[in-house]
Amino acid sequence: MARFVLSRALKAVLTVWIAITSTFFLLRLLPGDPTSLMVEGDMTPEMQAALLKTYGLDRPLWEQYVSYLRELLQGNLGISFRQIQPVADIIVDRLPWTLLLAGSAFVITIAVGIPIGVSAAVHRGRWLDRTLQALGIGGHALFVPSVAMLLLVFLGARLGWFPIGGAIDPDTRGAAAYLSLAHHLVLPVLSLVLVQLGPYALTLRTNMIEVLGEDYIRAAQARGLSARRRVWKHGLRNAILPALTLMGLQLGTLVGGAVLTETVFAYPGVGRLIFEAVGQQDYPVLQGAFIMLAVTVVAANALTDMLYAVLNPRIRL
Amino acid sequence: MKKTVKGRWRLAVALGVVAALGVSGCGLNEDNASSNTSTDGSVLRIGTTTDVSNFNPLQSLSKTDSWILNAMYPHLLRIDENAKKAPELAKEYRYEDDGKTAVFVLRDDFKWTDGKPVVADDVKFSAEMIMKYKLGNVAAKLTWVESIEAPDATTVKFKLSQPYAPFAEGVGFWMSIVPKHVFEPAGDLSKFPNDTNWVGAGPFVLDSMTKGQRYVMKRNESYPLAPGGKAAVSKVEYRVYPDVNTMMLALRNGDIDLMGTPVPVSAAKTFEGDSKIKMAKVGALGFAHLTYNMKNKHLADQEVRQALSMSVDTKSIISAVLQGDAQEMAGPISPIFSDYDNTEVKPYAFDPAGAKAKLTAAGYKDANNDGFFDELAFGVACDQSNANMTRVVQLFRESAAKAGIKLENECVERNTFLARTKSGEYDIDASQWGVFDNPMDQLRSTYLSSNPGGINYNLLKSTEIDKLINEAAGTTDPEAFKTKIKNLDKVVHDQAYLTPLYVENFRFAYNGSKFTGFAPSPSDLLGMVTAYSLAQVTPVK
Repeated sequence: MARFVLSRALKAVLTVWIAITSTFFLLRLLPGDPTSLMVEGDMTPEMQAALLKTYGLDRPLWEQYVSYLRELLQGNLGISFRQIQPVADIIVDRLPWTLLLAGSAFVITIAVGIPIGVSAAVHRGRWLDRTLQALGIGGHALFVPSVAMLLLVFLGARLGWFPIGGAIDPDTRGAAAYLSLAHHLVLPVLSLVLVQLGPYALTLRTNMIEVLGEDYIRAAQARGLSARRRVWKHGLRNAILPALTLMGLQLGTLVGGAVLTETVFAYPGVGRLIFEAVGQQDYPVLQGAFIMLAVTVVAANALTDMLYAVLNPRIRL
Repeated sequence: MKKTVKGRWRLAVALGVVAALGVSGCGLNEDNASSNTSTDGSVLRIGTTTDVSNFNPLQSLSKTDSWILNAMYPHLLRIDENAKKAPELAKEYRYEDDGKTAVFVLRDDFKWTDGKPVVADDVKFSAEMIMKYKLGNVAAKLTWVESIEAPDATTVKFKLSQPYAPFAEGVGFWMSIVPKHVFEPAGDLSKFPNDTNWVGAGPFVLDSMTKGQRYVMKRNESYPLAPGGKAAVSKVEYRVYPDVNTMMLALRNGDIDLMGTPVPVSAAKTFEGDSKIKMAKVGALGFAHLTYNMKNKHLADQEVRQALSMSVDTKSIISAVLQGDAQEMAGPISPIFSDYDNTEVKPYAFDPAGAKAKLTAAGYKDANNDGFFDELAFGVACDQSNANMTRVVQLFRESAAKAGIKLENECVERNTFLARTKSGEYDIDASQWGVFDNPMDQLRSTYLSSNPGGINYNLLKSTEIDKLINEAAGTTDPEAFKTKIKNLDKVVHDQAYLTPLYVENFRFAYNGSKFTGFAPSPSDLLGMVTAYSLAQVTPVK
């Protein structure tokens, strides 16, 4: 077990390092520099050079990279070009919102996806199954911002059931604040869940159908085990393993989807921070945000692997 | 044992949910204890598109930052609804010493929110700090300043190395005045974030913020430019909506009362039939244009540039792209600057056949009979995120083909486009100038061979134009100055260094059933949210 955790941790560190390095160089491969996006006109070449020097962008690329890694190892993510604030502080302000949004969507997708996938498999060919197949294929084609805008227009503006954007009514306190938080969370989560749910439940359904045809399930039936016990205890435990891997992978998609969802819903998370920082070529903020997202996804995948081992006794750590 | 494992799972999930809610919920509204705003009828809620990135007004270069910061920090001059400079903190300005000294006389009734008066020393300090640390875009406007004097509390004198006609207008409009007694103790102002305990002298001052969501400004109880000595609105709350469509829904839904950003032309009809939403229309301080790279040997030929100008159907462009809601231009000076109105300069008439004849007469040939002149093929670069410019390029491409000129659409991603324009890697640049507050600064930035603003996109090096610009810049007699600017307008038009396309109109939507009295100014930088405009707004009874 210890060996597995150690090797998994080393792989995770390597993955994060690759993410850090590629982010660093990819951002600098972008055409232009942060000064080219500032107010047009009235920026003399001298002022531009002075700004680049302030940002440390006048040094050779490798020197910038080494210095960035050195700072990073000391826990320093740098200072935002635009906000003149430590990047870590900026991200820490935004991270809880993204965790709440992506985490809620993740939990709901699983909580709803499992029963739907299992029921569709058990009642193969019936209306639930057919609907799921249509939704599963449709889900792949859905574009998060389009779904988000549709939800906002109909459930928010037309019916007035949900607020238009934001994460909470800042004037509420105590229990009312939590209610407002949940109220504002519904539409962004729904738009992410709608896109994720179909493909996830469909994968589970396919696995479940395969598992339900296995000999040990028929043996369980012969032993007189109830249908419920056969499906939920014996079937699901085996069918969920590939779906678990998918869940880990989907977390990355979820985080990507959060960038767009947060922008449409004016949700103050890391996704929106990235959206704004891209427009300003604020390298330190982008680097910090991508590192944080990479760490989140890597950690979630590592966790999935371990969970996989716990759920599947055939895997011995 | 099984039950215990199950129990642990449930506990873990429950803890996870509680932790997530707790992390987000706890401390969330803590810093807003004094800012309960939503129920107060005199709170004006404005939609903005991004968070404030920099609270230091001497540094910030962002449009959305300026909406909030300009309501806090006064400027010497403002731009009125006719694009003319009007008094703000300065009640008047004049030149002395043959134009080598610019003198501002300040009002004596502006007060900082901590009770101290706004004095000439604050203006001197602000300008000196900008020069010392080369802050923001105002540093370039202070290039000619040799020294600044504040002989008394209401007089500021800028001693210049040479006369520069629009110095006072440029510095007066762009430079924010900060409280010396607050900013001086901060030391190096290039590193001063100014993100708490704000002291301002505009109609409003920041009181609290919830990053990512809203910025609450309270009223300055002493603002002399507001009727009654203070704004009628008690608070202004900026709410952040990165997506303009969401912001429009928020306005219709009553979550905000004004959109700080203009309504896109294509979406203006959305508000038709909504009796409470009103639209205010303002002109632009910039314009859309096609600019020709003089480093290209064919574009360096005046005949070719004139032929290209004759191949642009600006009327159709205005009608198709902007649904008719824009003004046509002739020379490089926007008609919004009515003092420089050049009625004798007419736009090049759309005449592709005439353009073709002109090019044939100039010796250009179509040897392979493919309908295009053999040597006249150019790329037109634009920012593909600007939907209007992308359509303009498409229409230009089609109409130029009728004149025998082959154009390639080279609209690319914004950063790539900006990098290409900075390095001169284009034949024709199709873009939009943002804000020019006066024609002289515009002509210097766009045509002077030393390229002082970095936006001489023609890459023009003409001793004749340099001479005309420098002569005009040193002219302090207002009438002589106007004549020289008009002459430059005519010369640039004759040379066809650029083809001006249109001056766009911007529409700002607000809830007319709740607020009235806005005093909009031209451009999407100023619009409805200038300090002066916000100070005039009154709630509808």
